[in-house]
Amino acid sequence: MRYKCVFSGSGGQGSALLAKLVCQAAIVDKLKVVMSQTYGIEQRGGDSTAFVIVSDQPIGNPLVEADGNLGIALSASTYGTCLASMGNEGQLFYNSSLIKSEIEKPGLTQVPLKASDIAIEVAGTPRGLNLVMLGAAVAATKFLKVETVEEVIRETIGHKKAALLDSNLASFRAGLDKA
Amino acid sequence: MPEETLFLKNTETFAESMVRCGVRFHFAYPITPASDVMKHSAVILPAFGGRMVQMESELAVANALAGCACTGRLGATSTSGPGMSLMQETISFMAGAELPCLMLDSMRVGPGDGDIIGAQSNYFQATRGGGHGDYRVIVLALDSGQSAVDLMPTAIKLAYTYRTPVLFVMDGVTAQMTETSTFPEPHDYASEFDTSGWRYTGTKDHPKRFLLTGSYTHSQGYELNERLRAKYEIIKEKEQRWEAWGLEDAELLIVAFGIQGRMVRELAARMREEKKKVGYIVPITLWPYPDKAFEKLPKELKRVLVVEMNHGQMLDDVRLAVNGRAPTSFLGKTGGDTPLCTLAEIKAEAERLLEA
Amino acid sequence: MENTQENLSSLYGKTLMLDKLFSYCPGCGHGIVTRLVAETIEAMGIREKTVAVVGIGCGGFSHHYMDIDAIEAMHGRSPSVATGFKLASPDNFVFTYQGDGDMGAIGLADVLHAANKGVPITCLMINNTVFGMTGGQMSPTSLPGQITATTQKGRDTHLHGYPILIPEMMRSMPGVKYLARETVADAPAIRRAAKSLRKAFECQEKNLGFAFIEFIVPCPTGLKKGVKESYVWCKDQMLNYFKPTIFKDETE
Repeated sequence: MRYKCVFSGSGGQGSALLAKLVCQAAIVDKLKVVMSQTYGIEQRGGDSTAFVIVSDQPIGNPLVEADGNLGIALSASTYGTCLASMGNEGQLFYNSSLIKSEIEKPGLTQVPLKASDIAIEVAGTPRGLNLVMLGAAVAATKFLKVETVEEVIRETIGHKKAALLDSNLASFRAGLDKA
Repeated sequence: MPEETLFLKNTETFAESMVRCGVRFHFAYPITPASDVMKHSAVILPAFGGRMVQMESELAVANALAGCACTGRLGATSTSGPGMSLMQETISFMAGAELPCLMLDSMRVGPGDGDIIGAQSNYFQATRGGGHGDYRVIVLALDSGQSAVDLMPTAIKLAYTYRTPVLFVMDGVTAQMTETSTFPEPHDYASEFDTSGWRYTGTKDHPKRFLLTGSYTHSQGYELNERLRAKYEIIKEKEQRWEAWGLEDAELLIVAFGIQGRMVRELAARMREEKKKVGYIVPITLWPYPDKAFEKLPKELKRVLVVEMNHGQMLDDVRLAVNGRAPTSFLGKTGGDTPLCTLAEIKAEAERLLEA
Repeated sequence: MENTQENLSSLYGKTLMLDKLFSYCPGCGHGIVTRLVAETIEAMGIREKTVAVVGIGCGGFSHHYMDIDAIEAMHGRSPSVATGFKLASPDNFVFTYQGDGDMGAIGLADVLHAANKGVPITCLMINNTVFGMTGGQMSPTSLPGQITATTQKGRDTHLHGYPILIPEMMRSMPGVKYLARETVADAPAIRRAAKSLRKAFECQEKNLGFAFIEFIVPCPTGLKKGVKESYVWCKDQMLNYFKPTIFKDETE
């Protein structure tokens, strides 16, 4: 298996955390991981895109070059960038609370999800929208084990902000259910 | 500390790896994209009884490294672009003085101040000897954090066996990537070498020694160079390293190092699945250049394609190694948001050449 | 002859290599400073652990007359080499021996940063106001109006600035524990210089921090003067600008 992931979002939406959680969960699952930063997380006006490759084989080409097969777009201003990095197969999950119109790309399955609304519903704040999206992506593609992701969320978020752990886990599970 | 897998930036993996293999003194000056090496080594070295020493310039860095090497202990440095240029005089000095040490050039775009984004534009500087005189340093190309981990023991053995600086080159794109690397149990390779026959640590156990790279007579200069030449000939004979694949019947041979080599490995396998006869040579030592890899070229060979993150530097060495037996093409660029040839671009060029 | 050498050896001990022929020119101040260094090493009993890091220029010859290990560094870089050496091998006694060209021109940053870091090494600058080995060119310490190979009408301070005062630059650095300017212009001064050198070396032995001495010496060849005349000039002209002073002594 090989997932070439594109995670885009605007300032504060947590696309970098999303990438980090995916990397850590993949490592726990004994998968190979590359996250590219020079070419990867570009920061323009708070918008950022992270590229993560997850594979059960050694990773040759470490670049995502318009051949992403798992995308998550959190904001309207980064949807275009995310879409451009995707290939003609795979799935792109986008936050339809903020991204109002879908741009068609042949071969690519696009999945709208009102992540901001769902996050507010389950946790009273839109902060967990990144985890709602991650939940949906994990449920739909099974590229990571649910238990592993939950374990990593506990370690990463529980470690620093214990108070936020429950709401984040609730957001992730809401995403799993909505898929 | 048993074997463990860590998810680190490749600059950090380099620092981890050198420290776990015996580097105790890391001299450096901040410069992007190499700075993360010193940031990381500063954190981890004290637990190993060592230190990261931030000097005031790359001139001071290189010379403190030379001083450390004079004691027989293993020191290292890491730098990029202009920093590498500033160190050249002392690299020439250390080569002439036959001092072992490790260096990393996290290559970025030049010339001048250049750009902080990754490149392979220091191939000439690394392999030709950017400093003065007839000298060489052993140059090892890295394409991932794991390659740094895997090559580190070799690098230390080469540095001490041949008493020479060993230079790693890693393009800045690879340097800035974060990926998983598996580290074996730490082992101090440097301390396994007996340096008592040459180190300059006082006359208690040996008659007066002095390190001299200059000459008082013209014959001294001649003798130093002859001694170095003899050593370099042995290194050229014994220490060429490379990876080759598909050479038995390749019509197109792709030659690339570092990250571009890593990509070409995947590309060649993919094109073979499409029944296209592609093979590759990925040099691991850039000096000595793996000429031996080119000795038996396939009789089906139509063309050689060299891919680099520069405007054609290793290309010269490939042409020398191929020596007119096949036409040679080049694909490369330096700088820009994507400062390297993408797999799609290399594939398109490879297909064009196969059809031509 | 052999007998005389033996007699001298019993006087001077092992450090000074009396069988070596000097390559310093007749009257050169280096000869006196080199002997002071050798005597101090001998008196302190540190010969076997001493390492000299010497500069490029006539000062680079200094270690040839001492039975100690030595490193000939690139031009100006001795303090940086000594810094790396001392860090990796703190039990060695490490000193640099450099001229005013090596240290004051190309190597100024190296020595100032070693001083500022308080690296426990001893740096010696032998200042004769010219690049001696390369043929008497102007150095950063050449006096105003001084005629040199590259200032044939005399050093013009509008063009070349004033002679650089290195110990004065180090005075405010807390890492510097012993700081002096001495001279070998006459016998009493040589005796004072010997005492100062002992202090500077002990500063390292006590691991207190950085120690520095500038020695004001004549270069008869570079100054194009007779030996006697050059010593008179050293005393009258050089010392008038470079005043022998113990700037700092925190060794007690």
